[in-house]
Amino acid sequence: MGLRKQSPKSSASEDERRLPRDLPGLITALSAADPMTRRWAARDLAARPESCPALIARIAVETETSVIEVILTSLTLIGDNTAVAGLIDCLRSENPMLRNAAIEAMKQLPDEVAPWMGQLLEDPDPDIRIFAVDVLESLRHPQVEDWLIGVIAQDDHVNVCATAVDLLGEVGSERAAPALQALKARFAEEPYIQFAADLALKRISAN
Amino acid sequence: MKRILIIDDAATVRLYHRGILEGAGYSVTEAVNGLEALERAAEGPFDLYLVDINMPKLDGYGFLRELRAKDIPQTPAIMVSTEAADHDQQLALASGANLYLVKPSKPAQLLAHVRLLLGEGQTS
Repeated sequence: MGLRKQSPKSSASEDERRLPRDLPGLITALSAADPMTRRWAARDLAARPESCPALIARIAVETETSVIEVILTSLTLIGDNTAVAGLIDCLRSENPMLRNAAIEAMKQLPDEVAPWMGQLLEDPDPDIRIFAVDVLESLRHPQVEDWLIGVIAQDDHVNVCATAVDLLGEVGSERAAPALQALKARFAEEPYIQFAADLALKRISAN
Repeated sequence: MKRILIIDDAATVRLYHRGILEGAGYSVTEAVNGLEALERAAEGPFDLYLVDINMPKLDGYGFLRELRAKDIPQTPAIMVSTEAADHDQQLALASGANLYLVKPSKPAQLLAHVRLLLGEGQTS
């Protein structure tokens, strides 16, 4: 019995992987039907800062978690102003996975995110202000405590203040104590604020 | 003693909810994100889950969807979040939450939700 010659595979995904690896080819591959093709394109585009607008446009419609993760990694590696703006746009997404992943990505870019922080902490949407405080959680930047003190002194939204108080308990110093006391007075009817501010004050005084 | 799993990435929130629930006689276990919560749930059983939405690694929606896809869909869950929008509440219920509570929760309000889902009647 003779050996049967195997016919070559000709799936769409293999064709897509053969797309050119230059910038236009990679941007085209970002919209390929095969998630693996999109993932590889997103990975390779990390070396092409000029691809930021395409990566940002793709992440807004991408449904595959693994591709979203790679796009976010590429935006983080690029880390320029356009990339940070794209990450900030992700905070407004209705996809919680994308929002949370963008927060984690922004934490990796303290110097690049810092110029945006004042604007984020004054965003009209309290959820965006909460996410901005979440970014501060592990943003290694000398202004973090000042930003948090500003939030609990001025923000009217209880959950924005609550998120900031949680963090002040970890990173705050004696400088934060007057603002924490003032916050307790401002939200005297909120048991959580009383609890969290007392805990923060206790931790600060113990340090 | 009824067992409750608190799932929240904020340590202060976990501590606050733990105090309220233990003060009311419940046994409390904690998880810091959805992935850890799935591990705790597998070790269970729990009588109720108290679930935050926004958490790293696996958010509250993802946790509930994975939990409900397994063979323990009957355990009640309260989703607790800073987000008060209808969209978030609808998504929470669609993901498998039984009730939705907007933070910051007040002790009486939290206990009323818990007792309701545990079939323990009115809040005292």
